[in-house]
Amino acid sequence: MTEGINGFSSPRADVFPAGLRVLVVDDDPTWLKILEKMLKKCSYEVTTCALAIEALDLLRERKDGFDIVISDVNMPDMDGFKLLEHVGLEMDLPVIMMSVDGETSRVMRGVQHGACDYLLKPIRMKELRNIWQHVYRKKIHEVRDTESHESLESLEEILMMRNVSEQSDDGYLLCGGDMTPGKKRKDAEHKYDDKDFGDHSSVKKARVVWTVDLHQKFVKAVNHIGFEKVGPKKILDLMNVPWLTRENVASHLQKYRLYLTRLQKDDLKTSSSGIKHPDFSPRDAAGDRTDHIKMQQNEAVNSYRAPSNLLLQNANSRIHEVDLKGTASLQTIEPKKVLTGFAAKSHMASSSNIGISHSFGSTQYSTYNTVLPTQYSWSEGFTEIQFKQERNPQFQVENGFADLGLPTLQQHNQVNLQPVQSIANGLFSKERDKQAKSSSGTKSSFGSYSVPSQNLMPSFQPPDPSFQPPDPSFQLPDPVTSSTWSLKDDHSLEQTSINNLELSAFWLQGQHCSSTNLDMQNKVPECNDPEFIAEVPSNLYDALRFDYEYEYPSDSLEYPVVGQGLFIV
Amino acid sequence: MEQNHIKKQINSARNSLFQQGYLDEQFIQLEDLQDDANPNFVEEIVTLFYSDSTRLIRNIETALDNYPLNFCKLDDYMHQFKGSSSSIGAKKVKEECSQFQECCKARNTQGCIAAFRQVKHEHATLKRKLETYFQVSPSNSLYNTHIISRQGA
Repeated sequence: MTEGINGFSSPRADVFPAGLRVLVVDDDPTWLKILEKMLKKCSYEVTTCALAIEALDLLRERKDGFDIVISDVNMPDMDGFKLLEHVGLEMDLPVIMMSVDGETSRVMRGVQHGACDYLLKPIRMKELRNIWQHVYRKKIHEVRDTESHESLESLEEILMMRNVSEQSDDGYLLCGGDMTPGKKRKDAEHKYDDKDFGDHSSVKKARVVWTVDLHQKFVKAVNHIGFEKVGPKKILDLMNVPWLTRENVASHLQKYRLYLTRLQKDDLKTSSSGIKHPDFSPRDAAGDRTDHIKMQQNEAVNSYRAPSNLLLQNANSRIHEVDLKGTASLQTIEPKKVLTGFAAKSHMASSSNIGISHSFGSTQYSTYNTVLPTQYSWSEGFTEIQFKQERNPQFQVENGFADLGLPTLQQHNQVNLQPVQSIANGLFSKERDKQAKSSSGTKSSFGSYSVPSQNLMPSFQPPDPSFQPPDPSFQLPDPVTSSTWSLKDDHSLEQTSINNLELSAFWLQGQHCSSTNLDMQNKVPECNDPEFIAEVPSNLYDALRFDYEYEYPSDSLEYPVVGQGLFIV
Repeated sequence: MEQNHIKKQINSARNSLFQQGYLDEQFIQLEDLQDDANPNFVEEIVTLFYSDSTRLIRNIETALDNYPLNFCKLDDYMHQFKGSSSSIGAKKVKEECSQFQECCKARNTQGCIAAFRQVKHEHATLKRKLETYFQVSPSNSLYNTHIISRQGA
């Protein structure tokens, strides 16, 4: 869609709102003619339709051919509300409902089904003059959404950010309210409702607001079923949300799929581009969506599961994949990919960042790079992606070698932090890129690099003692709580550590065959000591050394840092 | 003079339609829509309404012949008819429609039949009045202005 001057795609470059492309659907020919005339007077481009089905066909034929739809509620061939839902789902256009009936319950139904406005007939010119606001509003929201990776992505981010704790579902409240209209209907006037409500005990087709919690449940269910096998019914059953209807889930699933596909596309684009920092930084979530998608999925799942089996399971499956490629492969995971993938939004990124800080300088980076991919390989296909990227750990490694002491760490950390931070921040703002690039400034939470790590360490409870070394790094990167980065409170750290634990467990399992781990293990006892981290012995570094070359320029350090921080032990 | 006189008559005819509650402000909206592109817009709309509403009336009559009455269906039809009537600002017609719908809700067969009779009555009355109005109204007439200007000259 080419953005017009006013931000909406229109073949005409008229001054908004002139030229607004309106589709009017009404079975009453008199009204159709009147509305057409009225809209023309507003300088809108009008198309009329007497049948809902005809309207849908038109809309489907001419994708992006209309800006807004105005439809009557009562139509012979299809219920206006159904049309409304179809349009919302398939075309995502703003829809205005009209009716001669202004009953509160009816209006409420309209709103529930997603109508952006409900006009009462007879309709006044002035009301029609203002309909452009709905188009404009939607555009603004879309832009916002896109920047923040879409509301779904935001949801995912928030999900990850949380620590798996289920909170009260706002959605319930919202939908609870929806129940009323249905119950209030009177027979004669709401016979349409009759048909509808006959099928559902709860509000039918209520426009659900997908809160983070609700979305969390949704993703949980999806992942449980298996993304390939999902269906609205299965999801609905699993979600066990009484007021939610199959339609609600279906529409959300559709959006979720589109969202994932988009991530995937972006991801593929990124991966094919090879080592490119730009992928990571300049784009929002443009890069490595695939990873991201999967990671998100997995993360979402994992994040709301208790430090758990699922996570481990995922890790295991991933690990296997990774293992197949050999230990080295782990190391060859392209940090970039990893970063991009989760960096886009990922919590992982943040966790990796944390890890980086803990990691011993560059060494950690490399490890991180490797590790990260592993972790994120939970998602199918991630493995491939992982190995596509080539990080330049060497560069970092060298640095790490030079100064494995804390100071260096901090330096690195800071560098790392930035990207990480930005990632974390990016989750919530679309400025990841900026942050990634902004460098030192962003390390607010990482400012006291060593501090956090210290905090983290103590709270870290490695899932497997033998893998302790990695744990600290795992702990750190709790991406979910980007806010906890500042590590101001131990509590958050703990939470972080839990996440990290999961990650680390994951990673650890994945890494079990890696020599790195072994080396790391030796360091285990010392891992809990931040200083220890800072002083990564060179042998550790060796263990972590990867074959890939560091190609990124210094400013791209940010990326590698992100990836590396996490799992380097 | 004549011109003014005729104008006045037209105006008062129009005013009485409003005053007597036959028409509401929707009609004025229609008049406002009338422009050079559609100089006879109001009349066209009214004509369209009356041809379409005939179909709706027939539907209701048929439904009223089916006993026991299907009140849901009747209400549906009436809802449509009412919506249509609102398009030209047919105020009295709308009122009778509401009355009919009340009877449907109450499942009052006789009430429905009586109410429908009223609906048809108002519907026909308005049609007559509007036809007369259009014959004399300025929008309609080349003929009228002609006469008027000639007389005025």
